[in-house]
Amino acid sequence: MGKEECKTMLDALNKVTACYRHLVIALGSTSDSQNLREELKKTRKKAQELAVANRTKLTTLLKDKTISKEDRAEYERLWVLFSSSMELLEVDMKRSLEIGQDFPLKVPTRHLIQTGMTGSTNVVAARAMSVQNMKYEADSNIDTADLRDLQTEITQVSQMMEEMEMKVQVAPWAVVAKQEAGAELKSNMSVGNSSVGVISICEEEPKDDEGGGGREGGSGSIGAVVVFFVIVAVALVLGYLVVNM
Amino acid sequence: MTIRNALRDHGQRYRPRMACLKKAEKVLLEMQDPCTGVKSQPQRLVITIIPHAITGEDIIAWLADRFQIDAQEARSFGSMLVALGYIYPLQDHKRLVIKPDASLYRFQTPYFWPTQQWPVEDTDYAIYLAKRNIRKKGILELHEQEQYNHLHKWMNHKWDFVVMQAKEQYRAAKERKKPDRVVFDCQERAYWVVHRPPPGTVSAMDYGLDRRTDPNTDETQTPDYYERIMIFTQQSIMRPRVKSSVSIGALVKYSATYSGHDPFLSKCLPSNPWLTDDTTYWTLNMSNVEIPTKMRVERWTFSFKELLSDPRGRDDFRLFLKKEFSGENLAFWEGCEDLKWGTAVAMREKAEQIYKTFLARGAPRWINIDGKTMEITVKGLKHPHRYVLDAAQTHIYMLMKKDSYGRYLKSPVFKETLKKAICPEEHKFNEVQLEQNARNRRPSLSPIIIRQQEQEQRAKMAANAPVDITQLCRFTTPVPHLAVYTGIPDPPSVTASPSLPFLAHTPVCPSPISVALDSTSASERRMEASDGEGNTEVRAPEGGNLSKSRMALSLRRLLKRGCSPSTMFASLSPKCHTAATTSSRIQPITPDEASQAPPRRIGNFFQIKVDIPPECRIYPIESEDEDEENRPASRDAVGTEEIICPWESLTRQNGTG
Repeated sequence: MGKEECKTMLDALNKVTACYRHLVIALGSTSDSQNLREELKKTRKKAQELAVANRTKLTTLLKDKTISKEDRAEYERLWVLFSSSMELLEVDMKRSLEIGQDFPLKVPTRHLIQTGMTGSTNVVAARAMSVQNMKYEADSNIDTADLRDLQTEITQVSQMMEEMEMKVQVAPWAVVAKQEAGAELKSNMSVGNSSVGVISICEEEPKDDEGGGGREGGSGSIGAVVVFFVIVAVALVLGYLVVNM
Repeated sequence: MTIRNALRDHGQRYRPRMACLKKAEKVLLEMQDPCTGVKSQPQRLVITIIPHAITGEDIIAWLADRFQIDAQEARSFGSMLVALGYIYPLQDHKRLVIKPDASLYRFQTPYFWPTQQWPVEDTDYAIYLAKRNIRKKGILELHEQEQYNHLHKWMNHKWDFVVMQAKEQYRAAKERKKPDRVVFDCQERAYWVVHRPPPGTVSAMDYGLDRRTDPNTDETQTPDYYERIMIFTQQSIMRPRVKSSVSIGALVKYSATYSGHDPFLSKCLPSNPWLTDDTTYWTLNMSNVEIPTKMRVERWTFSFKELLSDPRGRDDFRLFLKKEFSGENLAFWEGCEDLKWGTAVAMREKAEQIYKTFLARGAPRWINIDGKTMEITVKGLKHPHRYVLDAAQTHIYMLMKKDSYGRYLKSPVFKETLKKAICPEEHKFNEVQLEQNARNRRPSLSPIIIRQQEQEQRAKMAANAPVDITQLCRFTTPVPHLAVYTGIPDPPSVTASPSLPFLAHTPVCPSPISVALDSTSASERRMEASDGEGNTEVRAPEGGNLSKSRMALSLRRLLKRGCSPSTMFASLSPKCHTAATTSSRIQPITPDEASQAPPRRIGNFFQIKVDIPPECRIYPIESEDEDEENRPASRDAVGTEEIICPWESLTRQNGTG
């Protein structure tokens, strides 16, 4: 039904927004490249498609006067989700325009900021586009053409948001969130091995980071205790054998 | 930039223009040059190697070389770049300074550069905290927890979005390779250290309030714009001019006087707390400190304004005035300041209090202002506003400045203070101690608590206030009815205690004009005074005789002593209602009012009227029933109950007389 569709579309928009942000953060740094610009462009297009779809759906749902109160509250909540996503997206797009203009790629000597990020971002883009691998088919004037497109897209998005506010009368502050504080911890976020490794590395850097140190100490001590017991058990077995012999 | 944030930004959050940001960005770009830029090295963590780490000493050396400055300045410049957030430290990430050793730093990605165009959003911060919560499995630092709770409370409607976005961003970040993930985490954390500094961190983007208008926009050339320019130019033409020799001379004098006291230009003893994180300087210079520092006392000698604006100096001056028995001037001045700066609700009452205490004839602490000012003030008090006592306050200020201030600087009180003033030794901290100080930084007392303490102190001072004894005014001619008032609890500031038990009082140093007026109507007064004061117990004639003899006695003693008649007056007053005068006209006053009913209003004691008909009210802003209460016995046969306000009568008198 309408709600489920809405939710899935919103999830998709959310995902794309998050990935777009990651990509924009990499702009201007040493992981910037032609590919990144192209990824940005594609992600943007996808985001806009999703946005338009979401908007039409939600607008029709909200304009319907015959829905019940709970339904309306739910749709309003979804609307707030949608508009917050769009705000984030809009700001990111504007910033990518600004940074893209400041850090052109097709100049003889390009000074990209040496941020330490050198890897490519194609996995992030692939996640956004929901494909396995990204295909790149951009032409060489990605800089200027892309930026012009970007400007038009930004104006489109701004207009869309203005229209949204005009047409739909939703008071965002009246919406009650379903998630309580700390809800992000309750998700099925399995912290895999790789992430544990990364966490410990990142905590190593600052020497006075208490949280990481504490956790590391805890796991270390548990390991030590286990090893100790193993050794004690082995010693007992050997001793028994020696005694019996 | 063609596309700006202004479309959606309905709040007015334009910040003070930070021109340093664009310049810092240029410097940053230069630093990236592979040949002439800062040398970078890879950072080796346990398993991974992350490139592009730079050492503090390299940065400082490069800055010193590029701008041809010395190492100290390069170091401050580098610290500025770190404090703004263009470079972030890898170890000790909360202290945004550059250390001139091998500690590592890294450049921040342009998205996280500080800008004024893109305001820092709380939504982003909430998402960041949620992500951090996930990563740290619920163990956030104290200030982060507080922020998290606060944001959850007021951004509740967006919380679903925050959680969803946090999870998505976390998953997206996991997709990247390990070194990049580490770098990204560090970048984001550094960004939020700058823009939401943990307690004890000084970030340069913490600049205070936002401006109303965007200084970066071009103003449209509307007719209104041009009109403003015209008005401004016209006013500039009409402005009075000062010769440049005079103004430059004043500037030179100011600089010469204050240069030793400026913490930027000269050393701050014992040490500048902003530099060394040691707060001794502030504790030594608090407002209620017993023994001030020598520098502070020296400042009091610069000008009277300096003395008054320093609370400790004002206390000292008050003490001196108390010894000189002219404390009412300072009390009046303080009362006026209180009126000016106080709340609008209490204004009327305060103005009334001040009038009753200081300005009304027969007031307990009558101040000596000239008739014209008094007239203006009384007229204004009809409709009291914040600045109604401005003229009188200025008069008194100039009086204190020209007269008492000079004597204060030569007085034993000041000399004593100067002798006792301390000169603290300079601190000499080494690096280790500096770091320790930085770690031990604690927030100081909240200003709300300080204000409460001040108010309590004032109330306490009002409750057990010393007796304020006035003396003959040296500079006015002897007047017929000089009174002494004793036993009056005298609050240092008028507003402290609303109900002042007033005892007998008549003006000590009435203004010349009122003296003149007095003399013309002295006979009238005597008549009033002598005939039945209905509200006095001690009958006038007897009292008068008694007082006459006592008056003569006291007068002789007074003339002999000259200046501190306090004891003499004190001995006289409780017993009989005498007034020390230098003339033979004796006006019995009725301090016995005090004995009957201490908390009486001033109206009771107005036996001495100057020129106003007896029935007239004393205060311009009183209520009807009070008048009834204060006038139990009508003055004389004229007896019309018409209430005439003093200012009206004054103008009448001045017109006729």
